[in-house]
Amino acid sequence: MSAVVSPIREPLIIGHKDYHQITEDICAPTEKTPSLMWVIAFSISASLLAFYVFCVGWTIWVGIGSWDLNRTINWGWDITNFVWWVGIGHAGTLISAILLLFRQKWRTGVNRAAEAMTIFAVMCAGQFPLIHMGRLWLGFFIFPYPNTRGPLWVNFNSPLLWDVFAISTYFTVSLLFWYTGLVPDLATVRDRAKGLRRKLYDMASFSWNGSAKHWQRWESLSLILAGLATPLVLSVHTIVSFDFATSVIPGWHTTIFPPYFVAGAIFSGFAMVQTLMLIARKVLNLEEYITIEHIDVMNKVILLTGSIVGVAYLTELFIAWYSGYIYEQFAFYNRVMGPYWWSYLGMMSCNVISPQIFWSRKIRRSIWWTFFMSIFINIGMWFERFVIIATTLARDYLPSSWSYYSPTWVEIGLFAGTLGLFFTLFLIFTRLAPVVAIAEVKSILKGYGDQYTGENANQHH
Amino acid sequence: MNQFSFESKQKSVLIGGMILGLICLAATWWVGDDGHHTRFWSNFLHNSVFFTGIAFLALFINTAFTTALAGWHVVFKRVFEAYSLFLIPGLVLMLVIIAGIWGHFHHLYHWADPQALLPNEEGYIDEILTGKSGFLNKYWYTFGTLIIVGMWIFFALRLRRFSVEEDKSGTTDYAHYKKTRLWSAIFLPLAGFSSAAIVWQWVMSTDSHWYSTLFAWYTTISWFVAAFASIILLMIYLKSKGYYENVTDEHMHDLGKYLFAFSIFWTYLWFSQYMLIWYSNNGEETIYFHLRRQNYPVLFYGNLVLNFLVPFFVLMRNDTKRKFGTLALVAILTLIGHWIDFFLMLKPGIRETAMHGHGEHTFALGYSFPGVLEFGILVGFASGFLYFVFSKLSQASLVPENDPYLGESLHHHV
Amino acid sequence: MENQNKEVLYGLYDDEEVLMSAVKKANEEHLDIMDVYTPFPVHGLDPLLGLSESRLHIAGFIYGAIGTLTAFLFMTWVFTRDWPIIFGGKPYFSFPAFVPIMFELTVLFSSVGMVITFYTICGLWPGSKTIRLNDRITDDKFCIAFETDNTDVQKLKDFFSSTGAGSVETATI
Repeated sequence: MSAVVSPIREPLIIGHKDYHQITEDICAPTEKTPSLMWVIAFSISASLLAFYVFCVGWTIWVGIGSWDLNRTINWGWDITNFVWWVGIGHAGTLISAILLLFRQKWRTGVNRAAEAMTIFAVMCAGQFPLIHMGRLWLGFFIFPYPNTRGPLWVNFNSPLLWDVFAISTYFTVSLLFWYTGLVPDLATVRDRAKGLRRKLYDMASFSWNGSAKHWQRWESLSLILAGLATPLVLSVHTIVSFDFATSVIPGWHTTIFPPYFVAGAIFSGFAMVQTLMLIARKVLNLEEYITIEHIDVMNKVILLTGSIVGVAYLTELFIAWYSGYIYEQFAFYNRVMGPYWWSYLGMMSCNVISPQIFWSRKIRRSIWWTFFMSIFINIGMWFERFVIIATTLARDYLPSSWSYYSPTWVEIGLFAGTLGLFFTLFLIFTRLAPVVAIAEVKSILKGYGDQYTGENANQHH
Repeated sequence: MNQFSFESKQKSVLIGGMILGLICLAATWWVGDDGHHTRFWSNFLHNSVFFTGIAFLALFINTAFTTALAGWHVVFKRVFEAYSLFLIPGLVLMLVIIAGIWGHFHHLYHWADPQALLPNEEGYIDEILTGKSGFLNKYWYTFGTLIIVGMWIFFALRLRRFSVEEDKSGTTDYAHYKKTRLWSAIFLPLAGFSSAAIVWQWVMSTDSHWYSTLFAWYTTISWFVAAFASIILLMIYLKSKGYYENVTDEHMHDLGKYLFAFSIFWTYLWFSQYMLIWYSNNGEETIYFHLRRQNYPVLFYGNLVLNFLVPFFVLMRNDTKRKFGTLALVAILTLIGHWIDFFLMLKPGIRETAMHGHGEHTFALGYSFPGVLEFGILVGFASGFLYFVFSKLSQASLVPENDPYLGESLHHHV
Repeated sequence: MENQNKEVLYGLYDDEEVLMSAVKKANEEHLDIMDVYTPFPVHGLDPLLGLSESRLHIAGFIYGAIGTLTAFLFMTWVFTRDWPIIFGGKPYFSFPAFVPIMFELTVLFSSVGMVITFYTICGLWPGSKTIRLNDRITDDKFCIAFETDNTDVQKLKDFFSSTGAGSVETATI
């Protein structure tokens, strides 16, 4: 089944691997004792997580008054963080689902870790709408169930409720997709283990045995789940954008929001994938599976989506002028020239201008540039959400209620704390499960291994 | 058979189609005329915009596939190239519209009316239109069309030249291919910005007061689906003539998948735009959909049936993308569907302009529904488009012999 | 499943292309393959083994349709029959506002239903008893297994040696 591959394709697996070597390399991080780097990183993350728990406790005990939210700024860092995390949670499903349908083979190197990242990011995102309710213990009110408060249902016409459905569906489907992909690889880990570890991995892998019929159904399932996840991933950030765009607030009510939010989500998601992958490939010795070629391609996606976001920013500005609607015009004037001008500047320079350096192949393939840029974009996309939310709310229709919002230590702590949650979960994941999809990498070895394509290809194959 | 020969029989059929189209177009000068020849001019604008857009999207798709190293489409990429060259006649068609604006031959655009910016009988000035007059004026319209379509033509010709030269003098260092890739990548961001600007001018400004930030992307995706639908039809025709034996079920399956996926994406954009405007309920925005839903209900709902329900339910199954008959039927319906989508974008606003805002949108063929003449004009433009594409296809080998991805494309498996 | 133990003879191959030609040969010799086990999905194997195409997508469509209808009917019932409320001046039956939740429940029902169906029909769950012949199958070996009851074992061994199996072993399941 050696596929015909163009002679100018770059190899995606280097180091002349054979099937057994792939198993050895990718399973190794789950079998060795953790390195010092891992222990240090875990301690920092876990401390941040502990601080997060403290801040949540503080918010509940003292009340939402411990934040700087006020009329008219009823959404601040909380919802900014929510949208930021949801956005990051888009790359995993995008890589796995859309790239599977578009037949981009390079996804096999990074899909597993990106999906894990998706799930953890959605978990972080889900925290904020719950905490910002204030009375966390009444959070179950959002579910439509027959209740004792009279047969009064939740408002199915509200985008905030659509969000509840979208995020929980997205979390569930991503989890199923990820775990089903993981099952055969967990069986690989099991078959190398002894004793209790073997029993546990056998439970986790559902006693997978690699039967041909199972593989056939597994592939069929993966393909359909990918097909379902593709519109799903679009719908999630679309519905998040509806939270703003269905309103009549100038600067929020704009029809381009749905696709523009989705493009921004992919953009920030890929940036976070780069941040994590650059570290993971080094620490876990996976540089031959997550190659410079993978980094190059992902930088291209970043350049593309960054430019789409740029088109959207300029469209918004132009149409604000074109509309002839003075409140719309003021909203955008205020974003660029108002008291929060620095956040607009940060957004523009991090998201649109600076990614343009990725036109250079040399920079796309530079690890340091990529790492630096990925952090830059993460910051820029956070600014984008801050610009949309806080800047708009700080100056509404009534100038007498204009004010300036800056976060308290609790709000900053909650944000930093979710970073702790995210990295803690990711670090645990790298110890428990193969970070690269073993079976999928094996299935593209003949064709994309460096003994089959690229400069060092062995001509006999 | 890697060399397409443009047979005289095909030529006479297509010329016949063009003559039919011309007769129908000429007939709309008088039939159902409102004193401004609006039916004639709106049909001319509608079809020119539709087919020029398809040519632009073919160029865009080709460059996007090249940049993404898609590979599988390479065996028939000459079809995309031939399509993209139609931008040249497309520019000529748009120049006719521009001449009409300068000479005040038509009332397609309210902003082009010199009276529009003057105070009305009661002494009020149209402030909205005055505010837009920095962009909506004949100078920008002319300049924008010339510069933007000119830029697209520049890229189309350049990429075509690299591709044809590669056939003759391509070597294993793939110098032509590398140039193609570079110029394709440069084209993509330019296309992103310029297509939005052109859509605002050509299409959105027919409803001169109305605006929607999503509109440009929505329109572009409508062209996108139309381009894919017509390419599917052309491939099926060429295969039936014995060309492109190398293009297998697998390729057609992928083309069908694109038609399916982007029909859903089009629906997504349609819904996003409609729902957000419906939900916020601002009069200056809802007027666009109100006019269309109340007075043009057949087109309004038919648009969704043809462009969403048909491709969604038929192409959802795997096997229908491999049955050429079914695939061709869906492609025809979606192609007409998107032609109707443009009809619905343009006609109601143009009619409102021509009636100077005083009049009822009662049922009238050519506005409420495409009449026989409109379908005749569609046949005429489509024949002209095909005549051009066939003559370009016959000027080079159908298969780009020295493309580095040809091997992959020939062995394409889903 | 029967309680009776079965004797199994299996051969391990190093390469999927060798495996494919072995399966072809087994078909020619009318040997009754019990199953084939591989470390990753091998394309082109299904038709050789006579596996019919998976019908999982049909189940997925039905589950999805149930999801769409559930969401649509429930919201319609709530807002037109059970407790009608006017939100934002919209009619009780505001179809565009129902679309997002209808879509989400379609995807949710379809995905969850299909995943449950998949594990059920494959007989896979934590602690399930599956046939596991060799630990290298999930690593780098491609396995063809035969039941040896009522079969000429020597004929099978000849088959394995002629098709290039790296090792041939027996197991009781």
